[in-house]
Formats: sequence, C-alpha cells, structure tokens
Amino acid sequence: MIADRISPLTRRFALVLLALAALATLLGSAWSSPWLLAMGGAVFPVALISLGAPRLRWTLLLLGIVLVGMLAALLLLPDGGPDFGSLPLGTALMLFVLVPVPFILVSWAYAAFFDLRDEDLERLRRMRKS
Amino acid sequence: MPILDRPLIVVAAVLYLAAVTGIGVWSLRRTRNARDFWVAGQALGVVVTGIATMAAAFSGFVFVGGPGLTYRIGLSSLFINVSIGFTAGLLGWTVAKRLRLLAEVRDVYTIPDAVLCRYRSRLASGSAAVAVLIGTVGYLGTQLLALGVVMKAALGIESALLAVALGTAVILFYSTAGGMVAGVWTDVLQGSLMLLAAVGVFFYALDAGGGFGEIASSISSSERFGRQFLEPFGKTPVLMPLGFFFVFGIGVLGQPHMLHKFFMLRDPRRLRWLPLVLGGSQGVCLLIWLGLGLAVPALVAQGKLPPLAKPDDAAPLFLLHFAPDLLAGLAVAAILAAIMSTADSFTNLGAAALVRDLPKALGRQVRNELLWGRIATVGVTLAAAVTAYLYDDLIALLGTFSFGTFGAALAPALAVGLNWKRVTAAAATASILTGTVLNLVLELKLIPLPPGALPTAVSLSASFAVLLLVSWWTGGEEIDEDVLAVMEA
Repeated sequence: MIADRISPLTRRFALVLLALAALATLLGSAWSSPWLLAMGGAVFPVALISLGAPRLRWTLLLLGIVLVGMLAALLLLPDGGPDFGSLPLGTALMLFVLVPVPFILVSWAYAAFFDLRDEDLERLRRMRKS
Repeated sequence: MPILDRPLIVVAAVLYLAAVTGIGVWSLRRTRNARDFWVAGQALGVVVTGIATMAAAFSGFVFVGGPGLTYRIGLSSLFINVSIGFTAGLLGWTVAKRLRLLAEVRDVYTIPDAVLCRYRSRLASGSAAVAVLIGTVGYLGTQLLALGVVMKAALGIESALLAVALGTAVILFYSTAGGMVAGVWTDVLQGSLMLLAAVGVFFYALDAGGGFGEIASSISSSERFGRQFLEPFGKTPVLMPLGFFFVFGIGVLGQPHMLHKFFMLRDPRRLRWLPLVLGGSQGVCLLIWLGLGLAVPALVAQGKLPPLAKPDDAAPLFLLHFAPDLLAGLAVAAILAAIMSTADSFTNLGAAALVRDLPKALGRQVRNELLWGRIATVGVTLAAAVTAYLYDDLIALLGTFSFGTFGAALAPALAVGLNWKRVTAAAATASILTGTVLNLVLELKLIPLPPGALPTAVSLSASFAVLLLVSWWTGGEEIDEDVLAVMEA
C-alpha cells in the first residue's frame, strides 16, 4: 500500500487555490483587470508547489506574501513610486526583492527538504526489473 | 544586424563552430543506441544537467531580442525574467523528480512518453506529441533564421541563404551524429560561453554607461526615454508585464526542451541541487539583458550612440562600438551558442515526436530508433529550415507563440497530473487540446483580447481550468502501480 505524501486537507486547499488562481488569471486577462491577473499570477506558483511539496507550509506562506505583496505594491505605487537610489521604488522592489527573495526561498527549500530515500529508489528499481 | 567586421569576432565564431563540430565527432562513437541518442545515456551530473537546461531554455532572444525589447518598451520588459526567482524551484517541486523517477521505472525518453505512462492514453500522448511538433517547427525555424542573421553578420557572408545553410549544416552534423550526447555537451560549452559573455558584457556595459547611477539619471532626464522607461510598468499597458510574469512563470512547466533534460540525470538524488544550479545560472545569464537594456538607452541619451533604427541592433551596436575585441568575439560566440543550444534541443525533440511519440500514439513502434532518429533529425531540421526560409513571416508568428503553445498544452497535464491522482486521461487530453487550439486561435486574433492582454495568459489559464473541471467531473481512474509509486516517492 502506497501512502499519500500530502494530507487530503492540504491537497484540497492547494487545488482550490489553484482553481481560484486559474479563474483570476483567465478573467484578469480577458476582462482587463490587472489586480485579478496580478493576484492570480502570484498565487499560481504557491498553489502548484503546495501540490508537489509535502512539508513547506511556512516557506510557501512566505513565498505567497512576497509575491502577492510585491505585485500589489507595484500596482499601488503611482508611476513606480518615489525614487529609491537611482530607480523608481517599484523597479527597485522588482529587481532586488521580487527576483532574489523567491529564488533563495524556493531553491533553498528544495535543497533542504528534498526527499528521496534510498529504499524508495531501490523499490522503484525493483519494480522496473519485475 | 550590422556587419561585425572585426578579425577577432571572425576568429571567435570560427573557433566556436569548430569546437561544436569537434564535439559532434567525439560523440558519434559514444552514441550506440536509442537511449544514448534521446537521453544522452542517462549519464549526466547535476551541474551539466542544470547548465544544459539553462542553455536550451535561453535562446538568442536573451542576448539580442531582449535588450532590443527593453530599448523599445523600457524596464517593463524585464517582467519576462522576474519569474526566474521561483521557476527553477517550481520545476523542482512539481515535475523534475516525478519525470526523472518515471525514467527509473520505464523507458521514458520524451514528454509524450511520460504522458503515456501517467495516463495510459494514446490519445493524450498523441496530442502532446502534436503540440511538441507544432512548437518545434516554430522554435526551430526562428532559431535557424536568427542563426543565419548572426552568421551573416559575424562572418561577413553576403548571401542570407548561404548563412542559414552553413549554420544549419553545423547543427545537423552534430545533432545527427551524436544525438543528445552531442546536444548536451555542446549545451555545456554553449552555456559556459553564455555565462562568461553575460558577466563580461554586463560589467563592461555598466562601465561604458558611467555606472548604474549615471545610467539611470541619463535615461530619466532624456526626452527620448524619460523616467517612464525605468518604471516597472513603463510605457506598456499594465496587463502586458503582468501577463509576462504569469506566462513565463507558469508556462515554464510545459517546455519540453527543458523538461527533457531531467530524464538525462544519472542519479535522481542529485536533483536536490538542480534548482540552485539552474536558477543561479539563469540569473547570471540574464545579466547581459539587464546590462545592455540599461546601458544602450543611456549611451543614446548621452549622445555616445545614435538612436537605433532597429531596437534589435542594441546588442550588436554596443559590441561593435564599445566592447574590446576579445569581449566582442566572446559575446558573438555566445550569441551563436545561445541560438544553437536551443535549436539542437528541438532537432532532437522533433525527431523523437516523429520516430517515437507519434508511432506509439498510433499503436506502432519503430524498430531501429537510432537509425530512424538520425534520419528524422535531418528531415525535421531541413523542413524547419526550408519553411523558415520560404515563409519567414509564418515562422516568425509560430516562433512567437511556441513557448505559449508548449506551456498551455503541457503544463497542466504534467504539473498537476503528476501530483494529483484524480486527473484522468480525458482531463489531460481536454487540457492539452484546449491549450494548443485556444493558443493558436488567440494568437491569430480570431478572438479579440483587451489591449496588452497576452493570448497565452488566457490559453494557459483556460487549460488549467479545463484540467481541474474535467478531473472533478470524471473522477479518478486506475494508475499503474509503478507510476503510482513514482507519484508518491
């Protein structure tokens, strides 16, 4: 008997999130609603990763906050906001937060929580032979 | 593209072409069976896999088209790249491990193979193969045309036909001789050149523009560009950059030229490091886009470069006028590398669709896959080259929506289907067909969209929605025990 990696509740939550994100990006693009498109686009990767990752609650919550927060900030800042250094604040957030922070979070989490036990791999190889 | 008439550029281009031809000769003897030809004998380390994936993913667009797009629409174009912050991890968490483990329990060499294993449906895998073939013609055709343009400029060849033919002949030689063994090792060389050139050109471009602060203030104070150029949504309708973020962030899950590389990793446990290698190398490579995208407009604003007649000349003009010979030579070799590394992946994928995937979908199997694979590689490449040369407008159109076709057609069936047992063959097929057809219909503007809305944003969302709806509607179905074990490992 093969056990589920993810609890049914987590899976249901991820699927509902994914369905809402798909609806938001669809309607956002077709009805010209930047907010729907931005929020759907931010939630989409979080929902998909939660379907595949068994133990990432806090990382995913943080990823969601960063993506939703940054895209919302970009939409809320008129003309990119005040200057921050040499760039508009919005552009600085895009380049120096929206790219590196998710990279560190998600790629680090993958390296830290990657789970493929030797016995699982052996079992799969035995299945091939049989 | 202007003629890059410098001796070192010619030397670098010739050396590069000789090196990839040499790899073709070397890999000929190492390609003994179909497994070698399609998945490089499944013998790669994680760094090689990561760099080869990056090289296949980034075409010449990153080096030439990207800076040109930034020159045209401003920093909002960078939304195409912003999602690389999470895409490598997203690939890892959703598809990389499952695809690689499928290759552990079955002879899975292609994405349609994986679809067939997961759904036990020849209709679903056949639909995936058709989507791969459509996208391949577009992607390969545009790469071959771009290769002709760069070869013409770098080697001073006058005839466009001769330039395309020469570039195509080199790719054909090593792809046919060594299949994916040659494809991957040329990708590693190509990826390394791309990384070196990206770092070199980035710092040189910032220096030429007077440093980051000076560049930003020149652009901001110029009449031609203005502060709007630097704003996150700049001159474009807001839907466009947000659409870039979504399409390139999620569509990556359906790109066969990237996913295909995961089958080639020797030890699945090494996948742990793949997102760091892939995402890190992508981040470094994109420095060239950022550097040239900022420096060239600044140089125009400072009066050091005349305004560009064609935005796509941003990179070549910078190399001609500002880069030292050695860096210009390296960068031109890197541009050729970026184009060829993407093209060689598609010669292999297109051949696999013809020799392996479509026959399987029709319930047949080709006996000598290695021989027919080589023949099909020649056929697919020549067909794409001839079509590209004769119908360049059509190929340009196909090329622009190939990424979208792959994403909309394949991402849901793979990313959701490999992680949720309830997804059925009917749902996967419906999603693949919805993605392929809707993307085509929207790209041809048969259904109008609001200004700035990307057709792929709609087709990708619709394809996910269809997969979820049909799965909930049709309920689960039996999955083979070994595939189930892969999904739960």
